Amino acid sequence: MKTKIAALFAVALAVAGCHDTMNSVENAQKEGQRNMVSDARVVSDTGLNRKVGVVGVNTAMTPGGFLRVQVELLNRTHSLQNFNYHFEWFDQNGMQVSGSSTAVIPDEIDAKEDKFISAVAPLQSAKDFRLKLILGQ
Amino acid sequence: MKNKIIIPLVAASAVFLTGCATDAHYVATGGTQNIVNVGQINIQDYIQAANAATADLLASGALDRVKNPPAVLAISRIVNNTGQQIDTDLLVKKIRVALLQSGKAVTTTTFGLGGSAEDPLAKGMQQESQFMNDQKATRTADFSLSGKIIQLNARAGNTTQATYSFQLSLTDTQGLAVWEGEKEITKQGTQGTIGF
Repeated sequence: MKTKIAALFAVALAVAGCHDTMNSVENAQKEGQRNMVSDARVVSDTGLNRKVGVVGVNTAMTPGGFLRVQVELLNRTHSLQNFNYHFEWFDQNGMQVSGSSTAVIPDEIDAKEDKFISAVAPLQSAKDFRLKLILGQ
Repeated sequence: MKNKIIIPLVAASAVFLTGCATDAHYVATGGTQNIVNVGQINIQDYIQAANAATADLLASGALDRVKNPPAVLAISRIVNNTGQQIDTDLLVKKIRVALLQSGKAVTTTTFGLGGSAEDPLAKGMQQESQFMNDQKATRTADFSLSGKIIQLNARAGNTTQATYSFQLSLTDTQGLAVWEGEKEITKQGTQGTIGF
């Protein structure tokens, strides 16, 4: 009897601990074409990379001539993940350009969710970018 | 007897010196080490809201639709509907700086709400310059920037949540809001970490 109760309790705990995963639906024939860019990745936090990974990166220009970047992230785990991110911008000479103040942006991604984060360059002179992902609390 | 005076003096000095040593240190503004309060708008919240508004405004192309770029911006009222005393320039100034750096907009400091000037000396200089050069008309503002900051509190058990909504509108000279932006920041904490 005691064993059964303990087993039931363990199952209940396990079920309660699991976060619902994400279901989604989208149109199969896409009207818009994403301008995917090849990316270079530096992974220093393998733990974060195992949990939340970059699927793809695409760019576009705004009507005003600013570089817009969109990054697709995937939560590979079965639980909600908190993360922080921050974009850095560089001009054609590779020099970092910054608008006014910058802040890391806290965000979260549901279990198995595919999510986009995006940013617009603060200056028209920004031609390249770097995204920094930091594991959240 | 001598020891009785010296020992307390040494002890007092030690306490005084220890009291001076603090763990004060610099952290990057807007970084992950910044303090987060549920019942308060922190500096990283202002930065995040300002950056989101600026990026959205630049991406919209609204500022490009003026006859003589860059667009001239006048700052209108930013209503504080939170439960705290805040300086709205913590939000607005960041947007102004970013827009100026982008080359898409400049802000007038001689024309403000109710005829008041942010920089009275600049207004005097402008009037003097107009008088000396016999100028009749100066460039007027293309847009006014107004907004509101709203706080919404919620509580469930020991968990408290605050949502701060930063709402901004860009209105043209026809009285039409040609761009509107809203950024919401929600923070959660348990009873011990809150201020309201």
